Amino acid sequence: MEIPNSAVDELARTQAEEATLAALVSQYSGTLYRVAYSVLRNPSDAEDAVQEAFLRVLRHRDTLDEVRDQRVWLIRIVWNIVLDRKRRAKTRPETDDVAELARVLPCGGLSAEQIASAAQHHAHVLSCVGKLPAKEREVLHLSAFEELTGVEIAQVLGITESSVRSRLFRARNLMADLLNHSRSLR
Amino acid sequence: MNSPSQNASAHNSISGVAAGDVSSPAETTLRLIAKLPAPEGIEDRVMAGVKAAPRGARVLHWPEVLQPAGGWMRGAAAAAIVFVVAGGGWGIYTHVQPTQPARVIALPPRAGGAGGFSSAGAMRTPQTLNGPVVGQPTTAKDGTAQPVEVKPVKKATAPMKHGRLRAVARGSASGQPGVSAVK
Repeated sequence: MEIPNSAVDELARTQAEEATLAALVSQYSGTLYRVAYSVLRNPSDAEDAVQEAFLRVLRHRDTLDEVRDQRVWLIRIVWNIVLDRKRRAKTRPETDDVAELARVLPCGGLSAEQIASAAQHHAHVLSCVGKLPAKEREVLHLSAFEELTGVEIAQVLGITESSVRSRLFRARNLMADLLNHSRSLR
Repeated sequence: MNSPSQNASAHNSISGVAAGDVSSPAETTLRLIAKLPAPEGIEDRVMAGVKAAPRGARVLHWPEVLQPAGGWMRGAAAAAIVFVVAGGGWGIYTHVQPTQPARVIALPPRAGGAGGFSSAGAMRTPQTLNGPVVGQPTTAKDGTAQPVEVKPVKKATAPMKHGRLRAVARGSASGQPGVSAVK
């Protein structure tokens, strides 16, 4: 029995799509997870966001060849998903808890007391970051990723590079004010 | 011309400076969180989730058995659809009665061109007061004009035509109350 050409093409196309998607997942899922986790600070939510990002990629697989920088494109997708989820859920991140931060964050060669103190400090800093305006906070979050350049942060946020710089400058100043204020209150 | 290393440092300016600058505690904390490794096996879980998710709509192809060489079946199906649609339209057209046009009552033209109520020839006379009467100025013997007293204008009263009002007037004139005069 002869197999029609259309069926062969369809099968080959599906296999090629799956191979491309598998390559993208193995290459970028770690980066996307870290981006998602930095905002959501909840492992399962971050993993869900990564999965949803790849589902969106699958939905728009026809336009995959037109994408110039797949890494930035994927980070932008997951960033939008994460912001949308955070806006909808409005839940307190899991790692705002000091004990959870002490468990999660690396603490090589520190005593238990130092670990607890560091975790308390990090929790305080994160609460101050949460008080920043959204635009400044987003730039500050993304600037923490060393693999993202200023141009790439601008592409992810859909703004110019000079806007990224000015927002980062404002964010640093605001953070310094917030931390000084809380120090003076103590 | 810039060397590749210079270009790279310029390109990497934001995160590069941020990486070297540890003065900001916020960035230190966020960098610690950003450096946290992804959980193991995330690729497999994500891939399994993507494969399990329902795919988007695809174009359905004809089964091999129902795919004739000439494609006459497609033509027959299209003709059948056209026949059903046209037949249904014809059925509706023949069964539904057209609505009767509304009866129009012809009204005679109005006599008056303007329309509305007529005044029936009545004329409106406005109620007016009697104006002050100015007398002729008198000249004194020495030739100077003397002022003339101006009589005050009497208050205009309506003529009393009714008998009751006349009786009241008579009663008040004779010192009796008007009510007893009516009796």
